[in-house]
Amino acid sequence: MTGERFSYDSESAPPAFGHPLKKYWAFDKDYINLNHVFAAAAEILLRAEQHPDRFHRVTYMPLLEESRELVAELIGAKLNEVVLVPNATHGLNTVLRSIEWREGDILLGTSTTYGAITKTLKFLGDRSEAPRPVVYSVTYTFPLTHQEIVDTFRTRVRELKFQHAKTRFTNVPGGSDDKGNRFVAVIDSIASNPGVLLPWKELIKVCEEEGIWTVLDAAHSVGQEPNINLSEAKPDFWISNCHKWLYAKRSCAILYVPERNQHIIKSSMPTSHMYGESTPRSRTGEQVPTFVAQHEWTGTQDFSPYLSVKAALRFRQWLGGEDKIHEYCHGLAMKGGVRLAEVMNTKVMDETGVLTLHMTNVLMPLPVDRAGQPPVYTSENLPHINVMLREKLFDDWNVYAAHYYHAGGWWVRASAQVWNEVSDFEYLGMALVAICKEIRTKFFPDVSDA
Amino acid sequence: MATLTLSEGSTYDPSVPPPAFGHALKKYWAFDEGYVNLNNGAYGSQPLPVFAESQKIQLLSEQAPDEFHRRLYLPLLDEARANVAKLLGAKVDEVVFVTNTSHGVGTVLRNIEWREGDVILGASITYQAVANGIRYLGDRSEQPRPQPYFVELRLPMTHQELIDAFRAKIREIKQLHPETEFTYTPGSEGQGNRFVVVIDAIVSLPGVALPWKRLVKMCAEDGLWSVIDAAHSIGQEVNINLSEARPDFWISNCHKWLYTKRSCAVLYVPERNQHIIKSSIPTAHAYGSATATSREGKPVPSFVAQHEWSATVDFSPFLSTTHALKFREWLGGEAKINSYCHDLAVRGGTRLADILGTKVLDESGELTLNMTNVMLPLPVDVTGKPSVYNAQNMATIQATVQQKQLFEWNVAASLLFHAGAWWVRASAQVWTEISDFEYLGKALAQICEEIIEDIPELKKVDA
Repeated sequence: MTGERFSYDSESAPPAFGHPLKKYWAFDKDYINLNHVFAAAAEILLRAEQHPDRFHRVTYMPLLEESRELVAELIGAKLNEVVLVPNATHGLNTVLRSIEWREGDILLGTSTTYGAITKTLKFLGDRSEAPRPVVYSVTYTFPLTHQEIVDTFRTRVRELKFQHAKTRFTNVPGGSDDKGNRFVAVIDSIASNPGVLLPWKELIKVCEEEGIWTVLDAAHSVGQEPNINLSEAKPDFWISNCHKWLYAKRSCAILYVPERNQHIIKSSMPTSHMYGESTPRSRTGEQVPTFVAQHEWTGTQDFSPYLSVKAALRFRQWLGGEDKIHEYCHGLAMKGGVRLAEVMNTKVMDETGVLTLHMTNVLMPLPVDRAGQPPVYTSENLPHINVMLREKLFDDWNVYAAHYYHAGGWWVRASAQVWNEVSDFEYLGMALVAICKEIRTKFFPDVSDA
Repeated sequence: MATLTLSEGSTYDPSVPPPAFGHALKKYWAFDEGYVNLNNGAYGSQPLPVFAESQKIQLLSEQAPDEFHRRLYLPLLDEARANVAKLLGAKVDEVVFVTNTSHGVGTVLRNIEWREGDVILGASITYQAVANGIRYLGDRSEQPRPQPYFVELRLPMTHQELIDAFRAKIREIKQLHPETEFTYTPGSEGQGNRFVVVIDAIVSLPGVALPWKRLVKMCAEDGLWSVIDAAHSIGQEVNINLSEARPDFWISNCHKWLYTKRSCAVLYVPERNQHIIKSSIPTAHAYGSATATSREGKPVPSFVAQHEWSATVDFSPFLSTTHALKFREWLGGEAKINSYCHDLAVRGGTRLADILGTKVLDESGELTLNMTNVMLPLPVDVTGKPSVYNAQNMATIQATVQQKQLFEWNVAASLLFHAGAWWVRASAQVWTEISDFEYLGKALAQICEEIIEDIPELKKVDA
């Protein structure tokens, strides 16, 4: 692909972060797009078309291994504990559907778990006859301190164990009893709505104490969270999207399963031709764990997203590396959040900053439901407000940021990226002030502002 | 907006007739100069015009994902589904797209709530990954799990022999489980056990067409569920007509023979069976709604809504079906394309067999659509005598053939071992001609000579 924005001179220094970097992206809305990674992926696609046999039988495998090596290093994992899957939902489903659920098993999600994952948990519990787990949720109402999150979680776990006192949860991580009942928790490292960092490493420790299996929905982590270090944190399973914050092409995610747990993932999803091989080999020839061999090929697909990881990481190196990116984005998320709250005359959800990485959550100038007062928001008006916010941000103001209803109020979640500056947050604030005024006029003409 | 600079063949004028079939059409594909591609059955190939459209869709979805997903995607998806449904003789709301056939078959088999006593029957020639998927279900370390079986099929066989083989195996299995009541039949209330049969419409290795419609009828008569692995069908098999054939589930890859972008498959589930597919894989936001409304005011079945967006993927392969079908129309349509390909497969197979001094697997022609299977001039295992083909020799032969085909001769066709012999499976396509089969023959003759030289045990076997 030709054009200044499709390539960069890796020998010369990058421009400063902020709007000067925008030229390396090509969106006409405020959206993540990485044109040169797109170009790199397109070249891979073309190669696959020029010689499909050579590409799929010979070229692909070593390149896949390269991608896996790079992300394994980034997250502090061993190469053979890391495979690539289409997206985080797929990875989480691979894990949750691999577990051989028994009657009496408990599966614990949270009120802020991503929708499709909550639905996955529901699906597992919905099996029309035994065996199936019973599905529960722990409620987090933000803002919370890290300690409050840990305490809430622990309390809920103990409560559920008490409720199910007759069940003996003897099938624990690292234990030898794989016939007993299991208690499995899906833990977000970074929730989506709100976009907040949870003390997931401490939650893992709680689970270790309680004998609970930890399935980490880390969809937002890689490329946003520094020092992930999985060998140290020791989750039982960990899944993260590379196309969210790592700049890889859509769609690609990491499924991390430590060696000690790989026996639980008997099959990839869907099942591969390598399933059941007694001495599985990578197509490059070396012997690899069956977990790795199976995930090399789970049916024909477009592999260019998996292979775009290298180009993405190279670009991030050129920008200055993970630390520099994080420093800028985190700083901007903090500053931007404060400024956004000023413009809207509201407040930032996370006043201390412990919940904030590169996303900030700010209250919008709309009424807030308060305990003891009649509800402002109903199942009637909530979806309409949601649609109106979306349409107007998009059509009238040409800016978009996620918005959601939480703890009685409406919040906006703004992501700070290397091409953003504070003025972008100010612009968003201006837009929301205007839109919220329209919403109040339309839906709550009689309600005075909170 | 910069786009990938593709060659001249990335556009075509639909008002101008296409060139004749054969090498003149090669310019519409991205193939390397000199690469003789007789292996379409393996990975398929999108023509450059489809590639170009797919790039545009991808760029649009990157630049303006919200606009794309909210405004453009669903109408384009519905259009694509409608086009494919029409081709298949199905209703549009019985057709969704999934990533590939393995995924689609997995969606069906993993949604069934297996009970102890259930049976799944595949065949010895079922595609390896699908057969493994069946085994995986049976490998659950405790109840409930189905019992997998595989009927042994040794080709060539006539259609009647194939049907008889299935019938005999089904009888045998039922006799092994006399106390099991297979009363959970298609259309029944759901009590008792199920007997599910996974049937290839067109087998991969070897590449042969089975009498799947007759097998579906047989299943229906006997109260068995039919899951059709039709990976190779769409774009190769004409007059599929699912509303008439009435399989319980049917899955086919669009990127194999239909010229779409890699990868895209159709999952067909008739309305009467959609309640069985409770969830897409992976589970989607739309799960759990009785009828989800994902289009302004118009409800669609949960089956459809769940498969619109079952997690973030690149949707351009699904949408490329529209452009692929348009291109195929321009070439002359399904009948014309498949008439050329079928004819060439038959002639090409005969010519290849002549050059190699061997024979075609399917001498009657009953099993041949657009792929032909020809024996290689390597020793054939004879029943009762020890095999020269131990694991090591087989691995060596496979590696050698691949290496030499791809890097010395620049030709591609699939190698397979069946019924004690080595075969090559060659795919006829609109860009291939008889001379390509001749070239493949020349290459394989040489390669097989070299293999016999390299593996002394092979020299000692009577041909």
